[in-house]
Amino acid sequence: MSHPVTTNPLIIMLINMTVVFLVLTALGVVINLIHYIDPTKPKAAPQEEVPVAPAPAAEPEPTVAVPVEEGISPEVVAVIAAVVASMGCAGTVKAIRPIERNNWKNSGRSAIQSRG
Amino acid sequence: MELLQAFAVSLQAVWLDSGFSAFTMGNGIMILVGLVLLYMAIVKEFEPLLLGPIAFGCILANFPRTGFLEEPGLMQAIHYGIANEIFPPLIFLGIGAMTDFGPLLARPVTLLLGAAAQIGVFVALVGAMLLGFNVQEAGAIGIIGGADGPTAIYLSIQMAPHLLGAIAVAAYSYMSLVPLIQPPIMKLLTSQKEREVAMEQLRPVTKFERVCFPIVAAIIISLLLPPIAALLGCLMLGNLFRESGVMDRLSDTAQNSLCNIVTIFLATGTGMTMNADDFLQPATLLIIGLGLVAFMSGTAGGVLFGKLMCRLSGWKINPLIGSAGVSAVPMAARVSQMVGMKAKPGNYLLMHAMGPNVAGVIGTAVAAGTMLAMLK
Repeated sequence: MSHPVTTNPLIIMLINMTVVFLVLTALGVVINLIHYIDPTKPKAAPQEEVPVAPAPAAEPEPTVAVPVEEGISPEVVAVIAAVVASMGCAGTVKAIRPIERNNWKNSGRSAIQSRG
Repeated sequence: MELLQAFAVSLQAVWLDSGFSAFTMGNGIMILVGLVLLYMAIVKEFEPLLLGPIAFGCILANFPRTGFLEEPGLMQAIHYGIANEIFPPLIFLGIGAMTDFGPLLARPVTLLLGAAAQIGVFVALVGAMLLGFNVQEAGAIGIIGGADGPTAIYLSIQMAPHLLGAIAVAAYSYMSLVPLIQPPIMKLLTSQKEREVAMEQLRPVTKFERVCFPIVAAIIISLLLPPIAALLGCLMLGNLFRESGVMDRLSDTAQNSLCNIVTIFLATGTGMTMNADDFLQPATLLIIGLGLVAFMSGTAGGVLFGKLMCRLSGWKINPLIGSAGVSAVPMAARVSQMVGMKAKPGNYLLMHAMGPNVAGVIGTAVAAGTMLAMLK
């Protein structure tokens, strides 16, 4: 064994925690840099809001009341209405936006992994 | 008469050469310890893939006159792999091939939670020095708080090889007890409102980011901390196998066959360091106690830093994911998920907790590298 730099435990703690934070912060900067220069990054497209007529969730048959806009299939409207009804809360749907993320895939993966 | 005499002499020679004639009380106790560990592995399923071979190695190590470490053979080869730090980096190769850095890349700020949880390492180091261990021994004991078996073994071999058995057993035992140790601390340090914080969906991570990260991270960390270049280099190489998409066969071998083979050697070899002379010491009990302190303070450090980040982010980060910063992949992340789900059903924290979880692996390796640079 060669000589340790110091044998004061508090100084060892202080120096080591500082180094750990600095190295991991530097890695964080690198990750952000990689994301910034990523040429394959999908360009952020402005997301259009698809307004849906307000419909109280407590109503027994919301699917009937919701007008179907051009471009939205009745199946999608039925799914949205079913989700709103399953929440069981009294409220107003102000907007429904499509998002380009793998939410369902991630949710399924989480559910599987959390089962242990 | 001559026949009887020859028979008696032969029997005596067999007896004197047998292990029974040199068997000590210490060997008996250690074989019992091995049996208890086997019970925990097989019946209680506490990290069975690791604790099983460790326990059997412990039993093997306490047979007298086997000459395992003195004569060339399999056992000496396994010991060579342990003593020369060959196995821990190979395990890291497999871990890298199994690890998804996606959650970390999607939210790099969680790296700080992995850093904060390393406080457990140094709380245990301070405690060990106060209890009379020298600085190298204290560093090796403290790394138990990193909840990372290969790193604990890697550091112990270099700083306190005589404590390897106790440190490895403490590390793997507490890793298997993470679901029992962490939840009370997490609940104690957080309010119901904090536990209910729902986190935003992680952004998608491109293949470019996934491929670049292991290469760049290996370069930066290896240049900064050469003592852990073998560990981190293998971790990142394994991850590159996984993410490149063109090395599937290597990735498959690293995360399955190779990792399983090396686990057998590493765990059995670690168990074989648990001979009675080294293990049956008061220091072993102190190490087991300090390991618990290290785990508890690491968990507390991660959760408290999570609370800070929760406030600074405007209640967008659930403090429960901070506890996953102690490594123990993926057990600690599952605990965050479990406690979060109890507080608010439907609040999935698992993917968010995987960020600090894998950050903890890197953080523990960095802490080990810094200690090697400072204390060895």
